[in-house]
Order: sequence, then C-alpha cells, then structure tokens
Amino acid sequence: MSRAAILWRIASILVAAGFIAAWQLVADLRLVSPVFLPGPDRAWAALVRGFSSGDLASKLIGTLEHMAYGWLAASIAGIALGALIGSSRMMRAYVAPSLEFLRPLPVSAIIPVAIAMLGLTQGMALFVIAFGAIWPIMLATIHGFAAVEPRLYEVARSLQMSRGAVIGKIALPSALPDILAGMRLSLTVALILSVVCEILAGLDGLGQWVLLSARAFRSADLFAGVILLGVTGYLTSIAVSLVEQRMLAWQSTAR
Amino acid sequence: MSVVARLDEARATRRQKALIAFNTATLQLGGKTIIENLDLEVRPGEFLCIVGASGCGKTTALRLAAGLYSPTSGAVTFDGEPITGPRREVAIVFQDYGKALLPWRTAAGNISLALEASGVPARERSSRIAALLRKIGLSDHADKYPTEMSGGMQQRLQIARCLAQEPTTLLMDEPFGALDAMTRQGLQDEVLSLTQMSQTTVIFVTHDLEEAIYLGDRVIGLLPHPGRIGIELDVDLPRPRDQLATREHPEFLRLRRQLFDFIKATEH
Repeated sequence: MSRAAILWRIASILVAAGFIAAWQLVADLRLVSPVFLPGPDRAWAALVRGFSSGDLASKLIGTLEHMAYGWLAASIAGIALGALIGSSRMMRAYVAPSLEFLRPLPVSAIIPVAIAMLGLTQGMALFVIAFGAIWPIMLATIHGFAAVEPRLYEVARSLQMSRGAVIGKIALPSALPDILAGMRLSLTVALILSVVCEILAGLDGLGQWVLLSARAFRSADLFAGVILLGVTGYLTSIAVSLVEQRMLAWQSTAR
Repeated sequence: MSVVARLDEARATRRQKALIAFNTATLQLGGKTIIENLDLEVRPGEFLCIVGASGCGKTTALRLAAGLYSPTSGAVTFDGEPITGPRREVAIVFQDYGKALLPWRTAAGNISLALEASGVPARERSSRIAALLRKIGLSDHADKYPTEMSGGMQQRLQIARCLAQEPTTLLMDEPFGALDAMTRQGLQDEVLSLTQMSQTTVIFVTHDLEEAIYLGDRVIGLLPHPGRIGIELDVDLPRPRDQLATREHPEFLRLRRQLFDFIKATEH
C-alpha cells in the first residue's frame, strides 16, 4: 500500500470514529431520549448480550439463510434466463418490452400478491427475495451475452466449436464481468427484501428482531440489530468483491 | 473434339488440381454486389496474395474461401467439394488480433482453445502448446495474457493458434496491417519459413503491394464495385526471399511498378 493510500485509510477510520463519538455525545447529553436513542456503549452491550444468549445469532443465521437462498435462486435463474435472452437477437426483441414493464415494478407491490398466493411462509419470502434480486443479475447477463465480441464467434466457427463449448468457453467468460457486477448489486437487494419479508411475515430473522425490539422500546436491542444488518451487508459485499477480483484476475492486467 | 470442348476439358483438369477454386462466384450482401463472377484457382502449396483498393472485396473473397460467407451464385470449392462452412484444415488469421484472442486466457490457454476444439486429449495438450510457443518464439510468454503482450506478439499468438489446427491452408486477412514496419518484416519472414517448410497453401490479403510481391508466388489485384480480378502477376523471384536482396531485385521493382500503376488506375 502506498503512503497516500495509508493516509486515506487512516482518515476514513478517523471519520468513522468521529461519527461514533458524536453519537455517544448526543446520547450522553440526552439530546434524544434514551428510550429512543441508546449510546454506542449500550448498543454494543446489547449486541454482546444478544450473542451470548444465542438469540441474536439464530436471528442472524435466519436472515443470512433468507438472503442466501433468495440470492442463489435469483442468480441461477437470472443467469440462465439472461443467457437465453442475451444470446439471441430475436429473443431480445421479443422479450425486452415485457422486461421493461416488469423491471421498474416495485417489489413491495409484489409482496401482497405473493402473500395471497403463498401465505406467510418461507416459500413466499424466497419468491419475493428472488424476484427482487433477479433483475440486476438478469439484465447484466443479457447485456454481457449481447456484448460478446462478434469476432470471437467467428473464431469459434472457424475452430468448429460445439454450441456448448461456445457458451462455456466464449460467451460465459466474456459476460462474466457483467454477471458478477449484477450479482454484487442484487446482494444488497436480497438483504433488504429479507428484512422486509421477516417484518411482514414474522419469519425468524433480524427483521423480526428489529421490529419486536422497537415495539417493546428496547432501543439498545433495536440498534444492535440495525448495526448487525449493516455489518452483514458490508461483509457479504466485500466477500463477493473478493471472489470477483479473483475470477477476473485477467482484467487487472489490462488496466 | 471441338476447340470449346477441349478448352473446357483443360479448365476441368486445372480445376481438379486446384485446392481452392472460385467458379464464377458472385456474392451479394444487402442488395449490393460485393464480388462478381470471380474465377480464381489456388494450387496446393501456393502462396497467393490478393491486393486492391479498400472496399474492393478482398476480405470478402477470403471469407468466401473460409466458408464464413456462401456465394449468392456460382461456387467456391475446396479440393473439388463445395465449401459449406469453416473446416478444420483451413485456418483463418484475422487482422484484429486484439479481438480474435480470448482476453481471459493466457497465451498457452489461447492455443489450447484450438486443441480443445479439435479434441486433443488434455495430457497431450501441454507438450503441443509448448512446441507451438517455441515455433513462434513465445516460449517465455506462455503465462501472459494478451493484453500484456505487444501487437506483434499477439499476432504471433493468433498464428500459433491457427497452426494448432494443423491446417493445410492458411487464410490471412491483412494480418500485419496494424504492426510497425520492423515487426512486420520479421513476421513476413516467419510466416514464409513456417508455410514453405510445411507446404501450406496460403491466401494472403494485404493492402501493402510490396508485401504482396515479397511473399507471394502470385499476386491478384482486384477492381472495386463490384470486386473482380483486374490484374494477375506471377512472381518469379528466387526463394528463400530476403528482405534486402529480394526487394532490390530488378524483377521485384518491375512488378512493383506494374502493381502500383494498376492500383493508381483503379483509384481514378
């Protein structure tokens, strides 16, 4: 790491520390009632307490499960559909208008429909999360498959590669940067929808924890849940970025 | 036997000997005639160069021979059989090496693509890749990605990938057009030694007239709109060719003059 990079890193940590100090100050001075705003000390204590009793850990796992299953389902379906649509100009022409209608549809509008059809179940949560998370992945995959260098298809033809080999060795690796970027975006969507579903359907998870804590005016527990959600989003995003960097190592040489 | 019948017979035997033959081939794309009634025969082992002003259809002619286009009328044959699509014994070297290589595969991986496509078992691949890299002088760059290589190295890599197909025929579309003069001369000699050794048939499209004479056994000049043959020159220069001696040869200079005059005339 260069000197400048280290300085920037230190500066960013200082800013974060400043935020926490300001939060502590506001709480200590009782500018906001402690019923609504705990200090970072109390939030931290609630976090530790929640984990030692095992309650918070099980809620965290619940949320991670909702997020992971929905995201994986969205990834598989999004890549498959995106590849199908993106690799054929005719399919793009036929399907694109329907996609343009469905894409801006707020997922929250889908939730009552999903509840009516599937009930307040895990299946409903999976459907809603997958439905919301599929768009970034599918649209990125469509773009990635549509943008494959045509010359490479000619190379494939002149080598008489099979259709499967063309997809696996040319189209998919070529679209991979787009696909991974889409998957990183949809990870955030999956987390948001996991929490929403837990709140609406009372499913086991941090969403439910946050809702119940707020209703019981346990503000420290509430903040512990919110902090945990933030950390979850941050860490999963970093994990995907690391995988992305590893799989796209060839790209870093171009820059 | 009438004269006409005898002529037909003579043409037929010549065509039999031809490896690639254009038989009054015409190609129309989007209502425009790109190539019209092209008659051309390429003998096995011949190095044929095609020159012409830009837009004269020289690349299109190459793509017809490659099976990437099918003629609208007439026929293009390989070894007497009509060409219906690309075939393994015919390799194509594209001009834009940057687009024709897989950027996510290393030099070795790019060569491997051709071996995988022709079903070479995995355990044989690495030794064949090493041999091909040695052949084109890229042994030290096996693990580099194309973007880490110079233009000349990338084009050499593409040629190596084509050689991995073990082709009897190489179709080269302005392969050195984007390279600097020194690199280009080095690659010209490399291609000559690689193809002369293995008796590979080559169709080489270029806009560089001197390059065409230097490399070719025969040079065809195309006329534009629509593309047809305007001049045909046999190059009787001794082989192996030499960058200095060949280019100073009186015959070279005579052919160069003739070709320049032809191109100049097509531009007005």
